Amino acid sequence: MLFINKIFIFFKRELKLFYTNIVDLLTNILFFFLSIFIFIFALGTGDKLLETIGVGIIWSLLLLSSTLSIRKFYEEDFKNGTLIVVHMGGISYELMAFLKIVSHFLFVQIPFLITIPVASMFFNLPMNEVYVLFLTFVIGSLILSCLGSISASMNLLNSTNFSIGSIIVLLFSIPVIIFSVGIKNSDVDFFSMINLLLGISLVFLGISPWSSAACIRLALRNK
Amino acid sequence: MFKFLINPSRFNKLIDIIFRPLVIITSITLVVSLVLIYFSPLDYQQGLTVKIMYIHVPSAWLSLLTYGVMTFYSIVGLAFKIPFSFIINKAIAPIGAVFTLLCLISGSMWGKPMWGTWWVWDARLTSVAILFIIYLIIIFLNQIFDSREVREKTIAIFILIGSINLPIIKFSVDWWNTLHQPASVSKLSSPSIDISMLQPLLVMTLSFSLIGLIIAILRIKAEILIRKIN
Repeated sequence: MLFINKIFIFFKRELKLFYTNIVDLLTNILFFFLSIFIFIFALGTGDKLLETIGVGIIWSLLLLSSTLSIRKFYEEDFKNGTLIVVHMGGISYELMAFLKIVSHFLFVQIPFLITIPVASMFFNLPMNEVYVLFLTFVIGSLILSCLGSISASMNLLNSTNFSIGSIIVLLFSIPVIIFSVGIKNSDVDFFSMINLLLGISLVFLGISPWSSAACIRLALRNK
Repeated sequence: MFKFLINPSRFNKLIDIIFRPLVIITSITLVVSLVLIYFSPLDYQQGLTVKIMYIHVPSAWLSLLTYGVMTFYSIVGLAFKIPFSFIINKAIAPIGAVFTLLCLISGSMWGKPMWGTWWVWDARLTSVAILFIIYLIIIFLNQIFDSREVREKTIAIFILIGSINLPIIKFSVDWWNTLHQPASVSKLSSPSIDISMLQPLLVMTLSFSLIGLIIAILRIKAEILIRKIN
């Protein structure tokens, strides 16, 4: 079989899994909107206040709801043996982690984009800030997928403590939050911040396949 | 010559020889540095609070140095599969955490009279706080894994990823406009700190690093003994 065919089949399988588990995504979206409501009820409904803090709240809630979805990143494939089968098919664990990150980005994070216009409507955000939010989320969610890969592969290694993976995601997503919300708040040039965000995403895209492959190897050896 | 850095039995032999002199030298340096700090001049603006700096700066340097050592040993341990490096990683993580906490606490005690606030969301302060959280996660990771091999390698990978924070801490005062003052000792040109304040600072740094070294030696020795029992 051609190498490109294998990758194509891998993506096709991921897409099928995504459509069978679409309730997961809908649950995440529901969590996102409910937490927005809770935030607005807790802060009061002053229009000016919501407009100033809107972008920050939307970003942090997007982050929290994406930590909900990383639990399933590798766990099912690990339990039913798909990871070993794909590896025997000639795809290394590093490439597999990379493909997993890309498919998570395409099938989980990109559909999440539809929530942003609705959420920014709740906060009365002006239109130019919504564009910025879109752009930063497209880049930042790729970083979140990389971090999710790292922490999900670390979660394979222990059977007792699951919250440590989410803590690692939250820790490493601090630069994402700083630079994506900073675009709105600071007076610095728009494109320099976007470039920084792209740079961070490239760094994590380089690191995370390697480290999650190392964790997967260890987990398979100690199964 | 440097085999004791990677070999436990060589390390133990060397420690048996040098531990007693090391304790004596450390106590002498500590006394000398405290005397030097007592007689060091007051700052014309800050007054007596400048003496917090003699605790703050060495602990900040040592928190970075400890993380640097851990990064070095993670690379060595992962690349050459040397188990002794993981022992060191486990042993010195709490020491680095204590130095970071000391740096944060002394900094905020200095900040209250000088800046008028305990805490500012400034680049240097925030990145050091993140370093403290990274140390805490390393200590927690040491507790939760069942298998030893898994635990050691996971922690090494985590330390390598977290070392991105080190250059951010070092250059945060240059990259962003911060309230924290920029580097005044470790500049490429001549240091802008006065010699009467530089002397006690350097002696205090020496004694701090010797204290850290002694605690690290004791912890590493205990860890080696635990591994021998198991």
